[in-house]
Amino acid sequence: MKKYMLVAKNTWSEMLTYRLNFVMWRVRTVFQFLTVYFLWLAVLPEKARIGDYTQALMLTYILGTSLISSIVFSTRTIDIGEEINEGNLSNFLLRPVNFFLYFVARDAGDKAMNISFAIFELTILFLILKPPFFLQTDLLFILFFIIAIFFAFIMYFFVSVLLGFIGFWSPEVWGPRFIFFILISFFAGGLFPLDILPKTVFKVFELLPFFYFLYFPLKIYLGQVATSQVLVGFLVSSFWVFILYKTVQMVWIKGLRVYTAVGR
Amino acid sequence: MIKKYLRIWFYMSLISFQISLISRFGAVVFTLGKLFRFLFFLLFLFLLSSKIKIVGGYSIWQMIFFFATFNLIDSLTQFALREVYRFRSYVVSGRLDYILVKPVSPLFRLLLGGSDILDIPMILLSIILLVFAAGKISAISVFGVILYTLLVANSFMIAVAFHVFVLGVAVLTTEIDNTIMLYRDIVQMGRIPIDVYKEPLRGLLTFAVPVGIMVTFPAKAIMGILSPLFIILSLLIGIVLMFLSLKFWRFSLRHYSSVGN
Amino acid sequence: MSVISVSNLSKHYEIHKKEPGIAGSLKSLFARKYETIKAVENISFEINEGELVGFIGPNGAGKTTTLKCLSGLLYPTKGRISVLGLTPFDRKKEFLKQISLIMGQKNQLWWDLPAIDTFLLNKEIYEIPNNQYKKILDELSILLEVTDLIKVPVKKLSLGERMKMELIAALLHSPKVLFLDEPTIGLDVVMQKKLREFIREYNKRYKATIILTSHYMGDVEELCKRVIVINSGKIIFDGTISNLVKQYAPYKLITVLFKEYVDPKKISDLGIVKRFVYPQLVLHVKNDKVNDVASDILKNFSVDDLTIEDPQIEDVIREVFHKSNSQ
Repeated sequence: MKKYMLVAKNTWSEMLTYRLNFVMWRVRTVFQFLTVYFLWLAVLPEKARIGDYTQALMLTYILGTSLISSIVFSTRTIDIGEEINEGNLSNFLLRPVNFFLYFVARDAGDKAMNISFAIFELTILFLILKPPFFLQTDLLFILFFIIAIFFAFIMYFFVSVLLGFIGFWSPEVWGPRFIFFILISFFAGGLFPLDILPKTVFKVFELLPFFYFLYFPLKIYLGQVATSQVLVGFLVSSFWVFILYKTVQMVWIKGLRVYTAVGR
Repeated sequence: MIKKYLRIWFYMSLISFQISLISRFGAVVFTLGKLFRFLFFLLFLFLLSSKIKIVGGYSIWQMIFFFATFNLIDSLTQFALREVYRFRSYVVSGRLDYILVKPVSPLFRLLLGGSDILDIPMILLSIILLVFAAGKISAISVFGVILYTLLVANSFMIAVAFHVFVLGVAVLTTEIDNTIMLYRDIVQMGRIPIDVYKEPLRGLLTFAVPVGIMVTFPAKAIMGILSPLFIILSLLIGIVLMFLSLKFWRFSLRHYSSVGN
Repeated sequence: MSVISVSNLSKHYEIHKKEPGIAGSLKSLFARKYETIKAVENISFEINEGELVGFIGPNGAGKTTTLKCLSGLLYPTKGRISVLGLTPFDRKKEFLKQISLIMGQKNQLWWDLPAIDTFLLNKEIYEIPNNQYKKILDELSILLEVTDLIKVPVKKLSLGERMKMELIAALLHSPKVLFLDEPTIGLDVVMQKKLREFIREYNKRYKATIILTSHYMGDVEELCKRVIVINSGKIIFDGTISNLVKQYAPYKLITVLFKEYVDPKKISDLGIVKRFVYPQLVLHVKNDKVNDVASDILKNFSVDDLTIEDPQIEDVIREVFHKSNSQ
């Protein structure tokens, strides 16, 4: 256990060493947020509505998804594809370190750093922009929210790991990941709240794992999901987590066979 | 001299093309991704238009025209300056030293050495969308088109100036990936007309980091809503930025420390 | 006629220091301590046309930095450099067209494509006329025995073959001055020998001025009549190898194979004992005492074999550094 704590701590330090790198990354995140924020500010002037969203509600939504994406999307698993390609995977196989736990620990460090900065930035932006903000007080919803976030973590972690596993078979690790990011930008609800989509389209989105990365947790936080819907959502999430877990397991074993056969 | 550089550009593009053929799968996947990105935002604009009539004073087809202009400049820039994205690997592998030691302007090689043919479809797509959207907006004059072309060329020059600046920073600090992505993130704020943003952000985006000049102004010019003062200002800023970035590049070469000592 | 002239060259770097742990990381985010590294400090030398000079020194001594200053990659902090009458850092076309830099284990060839593609690009870059290009390409590929490999993708070649292609790519434009930075690093013994032979041959045939940096003694021994020894950014020796040996290691190695067991006490009088594991003894003996000691041994001991050799260059160099470090 201790070694993984150290891994997390080292990830934190590493991020601070590449300080320019990290600051740039945060600045970029802020700009991405501002783009969406101001877009909606312009689309919805004071009295306008789109669907159920007033300007106030929409801006809260955007702020919320921004914070959540710092939590859910910060990960080191993007390194996996390259590690496999470069043969660094051998280091893991030769040492008493569990590959997955290692990356979970890396993510812990990464997320901790990103969350800290996200809170800091959003607080400042909040003070400057003064958007309306909704503070959830119902403990049940807060509990559901936390559970939803955990589901989001895990699903995203598994998908990202799977994308990295492409490295076992191909040097093309960035292409599919790129497409994945594009899909997220549209399907996860970071650009716009998914419920402004036409009903039938919305129903399809609901079945995809992306739905549960940003949109679902945030709506729970806002208290806009009925308990029954929350439970259905958790059911679908569990289904995805299970499928993804099994897939990761299977691909890992198959991949290792290929990896060791090549004799790196 | 120009002939020599044209020939070299041709050979480098040939090499770049051959290399991209080798990783065809990856190249196709990336192009697909870019296509999706383009389509998704378009879909988003249409989604908006089904619920909202006017955004910040612009009709939906005007919005689409702005988006198409952004895409044109973005994909044109990426096509020409693709090599800049490979810079980091050159520093790490020591290849940069080989580039610096040859009798061809290193800047030329580092900027234009890797034009990727797979970016051309995106350029064409943007042009198609442009023409289509232009047809849906009220009268576009020939003069407007000339102005537009001039300003788009100016925008390309500004983009090159930025990339030169980015290369200068990279030579000094070996940090490039985040700088470039930062540039891309700021420029993509121009997917929508920048007057939609509130001050002081709008001022910053127009003058401090000339996204406004690069992306919004050409479109406004063709729509006939850009004052001549701003047209001249854009061209001036383009020239000044180019000059400054070249100076900075020369400065950064003096402080180059190379790798692997 | 000196082709390379360096006067009082210095190159300093600024690097930052970081303390360990989280506190150190946070501190370095806001306030960094900078330190000046003097990679090269006040060196001067002249090299004439056609010379083959070796720069030797331990890692971090400043050899590569000097070479990079000479090729125009790095801007000197102080001092003046003149190569072929031009200032390297100005990077004039006429200068760049006449020099070539080869760095061991660093490739200028395109990995995925056959070497010929890189050659064609270089032809354009150096503005080599068609017939000259063909002539040199043929000459070099025959000399290096790679004529049927130039159309093979570089990634499919062995390390040795790749190195040969790198050489061709670097020499197509018939440079007058060649900078070789650790050219034999990572190569196997056979390849190293072949490479050295090629460099020697190239120097003879084309009268190119060659500077070679290395920390392999084999490179130096076989190729360079003149060596410049660098340590900690300063030149400690500039001259021929034989002078180097005379100055720093004026002794010979006497290796004795004893027939009968010998009392160690008796050995220590003969000279400096390098190693004594019966039946073999290795002695360092000063040049003027060699004959006496040798005949002493043959007279007083029962000996199977006795050889007298020059000191190993490695040991000589080590001696040079040892002396310069303790100064």
